[in-house]
Amino acid sequence: MKFGRGAEKETEMDELPYVKSRSVSSLPCSELGDGSYGETPQAHWFHTLQVRRLRVHRGRSNSDPLGGKSFQQEFQWNTGLQFGTATSYLNLEKLGEGTYATVYKGISRINGHLVALKVIRTKTEEGVPFTAIREASLLKGLKHANIVLLHDIIHTRESLTFVFEYVQTDLAQYLTQHPGGLNPYNVRIFMFQLVRGLSYIHGHRILHRDLKPQNLLISYLGELKLADFGLARSKSIPCQTYSAEVVTLWYRPPDVLLGSTDYSTALDIWGAGCIFIEMLQGAPAFPGVADVFEQLQKIWAVLGVPTEENWPGVSQLPNYKPEWFLPCKPKQFRDVWKRLAQLPYKTEDLAMQMLLAIPRERISAQDALQHPYFNTLPTPLLQLRDTVSVFKVPGVRLEAEARDIFSPTRRIKSSLVPLAKCW
Amino acid sequence: MKLCGSEESQRLMRLLEDALAREARLWKAPVLENDQIQGSDISLIQYQEVILWLREMNAAFQFCQETYALGVCVLNRLLATVKAQAKYLKCIAITTLILAAKINEEDEVIASVKDLLAQSGCSFSTAEILRMERIILDKLQWDLYTSTPIDFVHIFHALLLSDHPYLPLLAAAQKRPCFQAELWTRQVQHCMACHQLWQCKGSTLALAIITLELETLTPDWFSVFIELLNKAQIESSEFIRCKEMVDEYLSSLRVSLPANAVYIFNSTYVTKYRSLGPEPKQVAGWYPKDRPRRKRSGHRPRSRREREADEYYDGFRCLYDGIASEGSHGDSGNVGVTNQDVSSCPPLQPHEG
Repeated sequence: MKFGRGAEKETEMDELPYVKSRSVSSLPCSELGDGSYGETPQAHWFHTLQVRRLRVHRGRSNSDPLGGKSFQQEFQWNTGLQFGTATSYLNLEKLGEGTYATVYKGISRINGHLVALKVIRTKTEEGVPFTAIREASLLKGLKHANIVLLHDIIHTRESLTFVFEYVQTDLAQYLTQHPGGLNPYNVRIFMFQLVRGLSYIHGHRILHRDLKPQNLLISYLGELKLADFGLARSKSIPCQTYSAEVVTLWYRPPDVLLGSTDYSTALDIWGAGCIFIEMLQGAPAFPGVADVFEQLQKIWAVLGVPTEENWPGVSQLPNYKPEWFLPCKPKQFRDVWKRLAQLPYKTEDLAMQMLLAIPRERISAQDALQHPYFNTLPTPLLQLRDTVSVFKVPGVRLEAEARDIFSPTRRIKSSLVPLAKCW
Repeated sequence: MKLCGSEESQRLMRLLEDALAREARLWKAPVLENDQIQGSDISLIQYQEVILWLREMNAAFQFCQETYALGVCVLNRLLATVKAQAKYLKCIAITTLILAAKINEEDEVIASVKDLLAQSGCSFSTAEILRMERIILDKLQWDLYTSTPIDFVHIFHALLLSDHPYLPLLAAAQKRPCFQAELWTRQVQHCMACHQLWQCKGSTLALAIITLELETLTPDWFSVFIELLNKAQIESSEFIRCKEMVDEYLSSLRVSLPANAVYIFNSTYVTKYRSLGPEPKQVAGWYPKDRPRRKRSGHRPRSRREREADEYYDGFRCLYDGIASEGSHGDSGNVGVTNQDVSSCPPLQPHEG
């Protein structure tokens, strides 16, 4: 059975071709059932994709180049095509190669939307990789403006493809394009969205476990979306232990580096803190080392070596080494990462609260949203419904970055901007 | 994350709401018809056998209990969604367990499908399992991540710890906070193999098990229970029916607590009771009708709280008796029959108090 083609609906579908778009069951029923779109219940299903865009009133979306206009009335793409089949999508170009999949830019022949096609390699002996099963089943329950949207799944005997909304770039590329640290104003908007996404998934007791700039998609508007849930998992409340082999080394928290396996949401907060520093500074917070112990040394060099007194139980962790007692005093973040010294103290304060060595002391995503660092953003941001982008709030938009390797002339222009404001 | 009590309980409430929403969206149980699953030729006995077998397999593969619970939930949902034939039941069941493991277990824990099959002793080929995997994913639209009864045990347990730290059973568990939840988890697993309890949602089943224990352990059980019932938005008649069945099923199985459980109870709570009343037996065994509060009431002046609990309790008993007599008579005959089929559970060793 193809994705979304309910067996009981099979006969019905022959008469009503548009019922097929029911396969976008990734959208919550409540969104579809309020009767304000279309005349018949079936039409709701047909309009699923558009309905969502109309409801959130996006000016323009990456996967919706026509700006959310309900162009079905004027132009039928191809209603004979259905979700869940490979012929409904055209591959345009290869975007990248991940650990277990290759991603292509594509276009949906059903509705003309740009999509990202993640073609997953299935091993003949093991079936569908666990990463794919986790990613799909977790994303099914997550509907949020800062979480990548899974449109469709194409599953045949030979191949498995996930169809995602298309988002132009990711934070890693964005950082490369704008070297030397990002505009602090933009960092705040990215950071707010990152923490907002984390607050949402943590509220659904899901740990991402693989936060890094490559997994944060950035739209041309500046919308940030958490992606790649292949290592993510749900966390039942107590007792369970997890793999310590999670998160790319640079973004892995000290407790997990020390071998702790009973980590929780604080794991993702550390990663977000590292990314915070990286956006401000233009370079990774704790970069470039070969193994767990060197990685820990990098962290101790800033936070100081933990002791039984300041971190009870630390010496019991598997990778703890007593020889670390050679003193390493905690440093001021602003002395280590110079950009912090140029910014109001609350920036450093949030970074410090996210990068605390003891996991239970790290700020939660929910509390972080209330941190004074975000005070300067418009207040309606905190009342947004889950599925509404922060860019819907008037006054929220990205500012020009100081440097752009693709258009060096912009540097001059953007440096004029503050001057222009002074006049 | 510095959480004070109320923040913690708010966080838990959000978790509970989320788990309930997921259950409401995805929970489905097969309908029974003439001792068979409706629309298939799978008999109750075959079904129960396969659930017990899955539990053995889960232990053999060294998966955690959550994996087993998720596997059973997926299996139930599948059997309620498609018309499955008995000859495929075992293949479906082992595949649901493998799928649950892919979701729930860490990569390094899961052996290859080939090794799992060899270990299980069943004769399916890898290709058959993978074909079944594809069918299940497609039929359930890849939406496998549901709330299991074990999730609810954990959430309710955490809520009790956070809101009622004074409860004796929880005070006892301070040193090993997971211990109590572990006991309840075992009972959940037993109950998941009982066909009468299929029709109970995971949230209802978990609360029924916890309430049965609360009854024996604290005079305050009723107010605590009502609080949980309201938080979980469980309908009370449905709950009472489920609790009756769980009570009968568990006492008929005479599910033993693990040996060290009795020890732990003795060392903390029971000793307290010994000083008050003569019968530690009531604590160790499954005697939900034997409420320690009743025995104890003569020994010291009762607080206002206890009197209120009594009034609550008496009110509840009327409701309870009324509904129970309507609903449970029909089922009680079956319980006896099925008990004989469920033999893998160790009999309870009566506590030598």
